[in-house]
Formats: sequence, structure tokens, C-alpha cells
Amino acid sequence: MIEMARRLIRQKFGSRGLVVALAVLALMETFGVAHRGVGDGFTIATWGIFILAAGSVSRDVASGALQMILARPIRRTQYLFGRYFGILAAFAIFLFATSLLAFAGVRLAMPSLAADVSPGRLAALAGTTFLSGAFPAAILLFFSTFLPGIADLLGLLMLNLVLHLPASAGSAFARISETARENLLPDVDWSEALGGSGPALAAAGRWVFALTVYLALAAVVFSRRELPYGND
Amino acid sequence: MISVREVSKTYGRFGRRVQALDGVGLEVARGETLGLIGPNGAGKTTLLSCLLGFLRPDRGAITVDGRAPDDLSVRARTGYLPERLGFDRELPGRAFLAFHWRLAGGDPESARTEAEAAADRVGLDREALSRPLRGYSRGMLQRIGLAQALLRDPALLFLDEPASGTDPRGVSLVRDRILEAKSRGATIVLNSHQLPEVERVCDRVAFLDGGRVTKTETLRGTSATRRRGLLRVPAERTSEAAACLAGESLTPRADSDGSLRFVVASDEDMARAVRAVAVAGIPIYEARSSAELEELFATEAAR
Repeated sequence: MIEMARRLIRQKFGSRGLVVALAVLALMETFGVAHRGVGDGFTIATWGIFILAAGSVSRDVASGALQMILARPIRRTQYLFGRYFGILAAFAIFLFATSLLAFAGVRLAMPSLAADVSPGRLAALAGTTFLSGAFPAAILLFFSTFLPGIADLLGLLMLNLVLHLPASAGSAFARISETARENLLPDVDWSEALGGSGPALAAAGRWVFALTVYLALAAVVFSRRELPYGND
Repeated sequence: MISVREVSKTYGRFGRRVQALDGVGLEVARGETLGLIGPNGAGKTTLLSCLLGFLRPDRGAITVDGRAPDDLSVRARTGYLPERLGFDRELPGRAFLAFHWRLAGGDPESARTEAEAAADRVGLDREALSRPLRGYSRGMLQRIGLAQALLRDPALLFLDEPASGTDPRGVSLVRDRILEAKSRGATIVLNSHQLPEVERVCDRVAFLDGGRVTKTETLRGTSATRRRGLLRVPAERTSEAAACLAGESLTPRADSDGSLRFVVASDEDMARAVRAVAVAGIPIYEARSSAELEELFATEAAR
């Protein structure tokens, strides 16, 4: 599993295009922090998870790399969870770099905000952003086990739309939709949850449960998936 | 032993179903080299995918030494080369081989040296190993792919068009590595369109067409199928040479260019034919025997 996680990190940070895209996000976040202070947290850096997690399995299937890996004594779940932990590790590296950049940027450009943008505050923000990113990463991983290319992003978008649209379609629908949304896409205020707030803790519990469900579903779908390659 | 019993596999859904395999039955003995030949779309790659556990048959069963093909103990002994190597393009060759060495259960400490040793075996130099795979030519990708398939000397080798895109030196290198694996007792399944190479390394060939095994031919051993012998002598001495062969109970067909074609039951028959002509003092320009797979291919494909 560690080998798979290391490979994903190497893949992501070995691609110039991805590194440039992440660097742009980190710079934009730095400008944002320098402009308005840390506020409620990182906003633009959250998008990094989509860059890091999109197509994480489907691209390996299409290139034939997955078939080469699975011809080795590796369980499919080892591969899959290795990818997931690789995404999280790459996201953590990205957030660390973003925090460093924001810290240095504020010190250099906006010394008046320096007290607000302390290392401890930035670490806490990076931590909550990391937790917020872990959830869409699991959903993307799930969709990537059976959708081609980066259609997993589309899957995530559709899931969000489906769970948000019925709210405007009538009260019965709205209730069902809200319940589904609370359980399938729980919105957690991590700073409150980590501070011990009751409702936030309950939401965090739903978050853990839903995350586990998405990962378990990904494992079930992926272990049953057939992996054709080449042409006869 | 690899056992394939009545395996069928269909792709697609609803109205667009394609029967890729239709009741395929095969056995590959331990240490045997089996060639899969057949026209494009015959089902060879699908069969290979089933043998590797990437695809599950709709009907029938496949076992490798009594276990499922995707059993980890089977995979620990498996080497696999896909037709087109599509691995991480930014990865340097050395890191690619080291990665597969570790995945195959090799000692991580020796990954680098084993990667270099594997590259040596397929004629890739150190400079190439330092370059990312995206800079490799097709032939180089095949070589490094073969090197990874041969890591840790697997007992089972599945090779899909191993010499595809390689130059003549590469073709002979691939052949040598296959023969090397064969000599240490590996069981090999080779999918290839390069019939002369198939004939050189395989003990047996299975001809696939329309998802079925339509014919198998044994190329080596006592049960080998009768082969075609060819001797080429000076055109003016063709009839004299033909008489020599007739004396050895062989019935040649003579061509105007001095070629004599005849059926031989074994390599010993061929040796007798050469000796008889040489003893008569007739120069031999060319002597060979082959299973004429191209002819078999043409015959089977025309059915």
C-alpha cells in the first residue's frame, strides 16, 4: 500500500502540468490570505484535491498500468487504498507548501497581518482544509473505479446537483433531500467540531460514516471490476 | 499447469454483444511454451486477459496449478508483458524496474542493482535507465517491459507481442530471453503474430479464430506434427539430389531453382536427408525444416 501511495505522489509531483496548476492555486491562496487575512480558512487551496484526485484509478486502467501492477502479488484493495492515502499525502504536502508560501507572503507583503497569520493558525487551517478535502477525494475515488477518464469529477458534480436540486421542488422532496445530503454529503465545520461543539461533532460522525461507506463501495466495485486491455 | 476448460467470454451489453471467446479449452503443461496465433479479433488478448485474471469468463473455468489466476501465490510467480507498455511516462527506466522489483516481492535494498541487472539482460544501457519512459522508442519500451516481466525469474510468463516494434537485434534478444526462461523450466504463453519467432521458441501452438481454438500443433518432441523440409542445391543437380532423398524413403518435390521440398517426421529425418545429399558430393546451399506456421495460418484463416 505504501508503494502505491508513493507512486501516486511521484506521479502527481512528477507532472509539470499538475505542479504548475497547484503552484497557481497556492499563489492565489497566498494573495487571498495577504489581502483578507486567514479568515475562515483556505478557500482556493481546497480545489487542489480535485487536481490531485481526479482520474486516480481510471487513468491507470486506460493506460494499462493497473494491469501491470495487478499482475504482481498485490491485492486490489491494497492498490485502491494506497491510491487514496497517496492522494491525501499529496494534498497534505500541497497544503504544507501553501501554508509556507502564505506565511512568507504575508510577512513580506503585509506585515500588518503578521499577527493574524501565525504558524499555529495556518497549521490549524491547513488541518481543517485537509479534512474537508479527504471527503471529496473518497467520492472521486469511488467514481473513478468505474467511470472513464476524469468523469469522476462529473460524477461528483452530479451527486451534488442531485442532492441539492430537490430542495426547490417541494417540502416533501426538500426533507428527503436534506436528510440524504446530511448523510451522503455531510457539511462539517471542523473548527467547531475540533473545538468540541455538539452539533458539529454529530456532523463529524456522519462524515466519518459516509467516508467509510464511499471507500467501502469503492473497494466492492473495484474488486469486481473487469480490466480489459489491448485489442485481440 | 494451466487449465482452461470451456471458457466463454462476451463483451458489450444489450444489442451489441461480441462473443470474444466461445468454449475455449486448453492445457499448458508445466515448462511448456504455448504460442497463441490467429487473425486480429480472434480472441487471443481476451484469452490472455482471462489467464491473468483481468477478465472473468462468463462460462467455464481457468486454473493455474489448481488455483484461480488472480490468486496471490500465482501472481508471485507470474511475469507479464503487455503489448503496449503504458506506464507512468515521467518515471525513469531504473525507477520503473525498481518499482516492479519491489512489487514482485524483491528485497528493496537490492532494487537498484537488480533493476540494472535486468536492463543489462535486455541490452539497455545505464544512460537509458536514467531517462523517463516518455523518451523511450517503441523498441526500448518493449525491452524494458520484457526486463520487468523477467524480474525474479518467474515460473509463469505471459507475453503479448513481445517483439512488436523492435528491430532485428531486438527480435533476437527477445527470442534469447524467452529461450533462457524456457531452459530454466518456465511455463510460457506467447501471443504473437511473428510466426517464425513463434515457431522457434514454442513447443506447441494453438490457433484461435472467432473465439475458438480451431487447431493445435505440436512443434517439439516425439509427438511433433510432421514438418516441411527444404534443401537447396545447384539447379543442375536437382534430380541427382532427389534420387539421394528417395533412397532415404523421402519423396521430394523439386523446383527449377534447385529447391527440394519434402515432409519429415522428425529432426532425425532432416539430418538423414542432409547427410545423404552431402555424401553424394552435392553442395547444399540451404537446409531447413519448419512447421510452416504461415501455411497453417493461411489454411485456418481461410476456413
